Amino acid sequence: MEEECRVLSIQSHVVRGYVGNRAATFPLQVLGFEVDAVNSVQFSNHTGYSHWKGQVLNSGELQELYDGLKLNSVNQYDYVLTVCDPVMGDQRNGEGAMYVPDDLLPVYREKVVPVADIITPNQFEAELLTGRKIHSQEEALEVMDMLHAMGPDTVVITSSDLLSPRGNDYLMALGSQRTRAPDGSVVTQRIRMEMHKVDAVFVGTGDLFAAMLLAWTHKHPNNLKVACEKTVSAMHHVLQRTIKCAKAKSGEGVKPSPAQLELRMVQSKRDIESPEIVVQATVL
Amino acid sequence: MEEECRVLSIQSHVVRGYVGNRAATFPLQVLGFEVDAVNSVQFSNHTGYSHWKGQVLNSGELQELYDGLKLNSVNQYDYVLTGYTRDKSFLAMVVDIVQELKQQNPRLVYVCDPVMGDQRNGEGAMYVPDDLLPVYREKVVPVADIITPNQFEAELLTGRKIHSQEEALEVMDMLHAMGPDTVVITSSDLLSPRGNDYLMALGSQRTRAPDGSVVTQRIRMEMHKVDAVFVGTGDLFAAMLLAWTHKHPNNLKVACEKTVSAMHHVLQRTIKCAKGRPGRQAGGQRCGAVSCRAKAPTVSLAGPSGLGRGSMVEQHVHPC
Repeated sequence: MEEECRVLSIQSHVVRGYVGNRAATFPLQVLGFEVDAVNSVQFSNHTGYSHWKGQVLNSGELQELYDGLKLNSVNQYDYVLTVCDPVMGDQRNGEGAMYVPDDLLPVYREKVVPVADIITPNQFEAELLTGRKIHSQEEALEVMDMLHAMGPDTVVITSSDLLSPRGNDYLMALGSQRTRAPDGSVVTQRIRMEMHKVDAVFVGTGDLFAAMLLAWTHKHPNNLKVACEKTVSAMHHVLQRTIKCAKAKSGEGVKPSPAQLELRMVQSKRDIESPEIVVQATVL
Repeated sequence: MEEECRVLSIQSHVVRGYVGNRAATFPLQVLGFEVDAVNSVQFSNHTGYSHWKGQVLNSGELQELYDGLKLNSVNQYDYVLTGYTRDKSFLAMVVDIVQELKQQNPRLVYVCDPVMGDQRNGEGAMYVPDDLLPVYREKVVPVADIITPNQFEAELLTGRKIHSQEEALEVMDMLHAMGPDTVVITSSDLLSPRGNDYLMALGSQRTRAPDGSVVTQRIRMEMHKVDAVFVGTGDLFAAMLLAWTHKHPNNLKVACEKTVSAMHHVLQRTIKCAKGRPGRQAGGQRCGAVSCRAKAPTVSLAGPSGLGRGSMVEQHVHPC
């Protein structure tokens, strides 16, 4: 990358494994970005393990760190990346459940999303933010338009319950990007992607996705299709490598543990740098 | 790297810049190591800037994080890497952790940068509380396998001043006797054979030959001085030395050549970029804070060209 591009990433840190800043930093650095990382927590590992221990930053401490940067006049960034992912909840078989405190929802809806430029909610989170349920692709596109109206010009619904045209083995994701044409008119590019399901519970994939989407939309600012194809392809390679290694460790027929399912991030350096494209996004 | 190699790195974190874990993690990851990082502090930036703000981990919090790993039975490491620490009880906790991890894996290698101070023109000064010296000397260095003191720190640890290359080799032997089989004196005041523009570093590695005898490989390196104050270089050095001694376990010469060459490329790029920036002081003045541009292209770190040639000083074979 020719010109220095600086990202302020405010996410969690785990000693071991790849979630939050640990999922975002290495890929962005490998892709040539300068990443300044504020660790909002430091835990031994993510909370999907049997045990976890660590410490949380309060807002005063977060302010202190930002003040330090400001006092040195180095508070200049091209991107901010936060858990404006927005990591709030997920659903399984139509049942939604939140996994951060309920009082955060109004904050996201009224304060955070309006200042966001790119958001990557899953279906459940998109429904929560707009108050509107999604039962079909058409409704999903309407919900993405409602999200655009709240602020962000780029919306990617990273996963959904919707039945993919390719069948049950596939997960459907949708994206929508608003840009202003030279004549002033608003152009909206909408895409659909099908991703082959992997039979395991991964943690950190949303964080990795958001970081790589940042990178690829930076390199392809007016082409959400290409940016998403690269992001999703890279994800595919990382997950394939991860599940293969995890199964090798756990043994035949044994479900891999959370420790064994940690993303094979370091081993996937080349796939992150130049992902071989394995998914075609459909322009809607 | 074929087999997974896991490093536990206990160092500082800065939001911006490359010191401590920020200097060590990316290079090690790029070289294929799994790095588990305990951040001993989180500061906005290093303390060479006009201002810095942040929070410090205490030994209880360090214990908590280690306990989390232990409860999940994932406290297994091939390497431990530590650097700048200001707190005596934190350092003592680190030693306890290393000892327990060595019980889990007797082949674990502890790479320790015994950061205590530095010297200029023969005048040394400590920049950590002086009650850390006995902890390093009596507890830390004895469990370390690789240490990277500068000349001042080597003198502090052994109580012996260094005025010549011969004395430096003797001091390294004294350090071997305290524990570590690999000692690299990363910089010294000694006059390099190449002249004033060069900095001399020395290394010594003890290995056991198949017949049981002890072999000591000693090397000297001359590194071209760069007219600037860099921060984080020691941390980057220790991390890359870990990587290259791992790949070349019985060849300190090659491991050091690669480490020092990579350092050279990073520093050259850093000083070039720093001077190129408008509004920055150039030349011999301290450029505010010249943080290492550790985000070098992968090829520079993974396979550096052979600059900073090491020369073989002596190779001694000591029968038991």
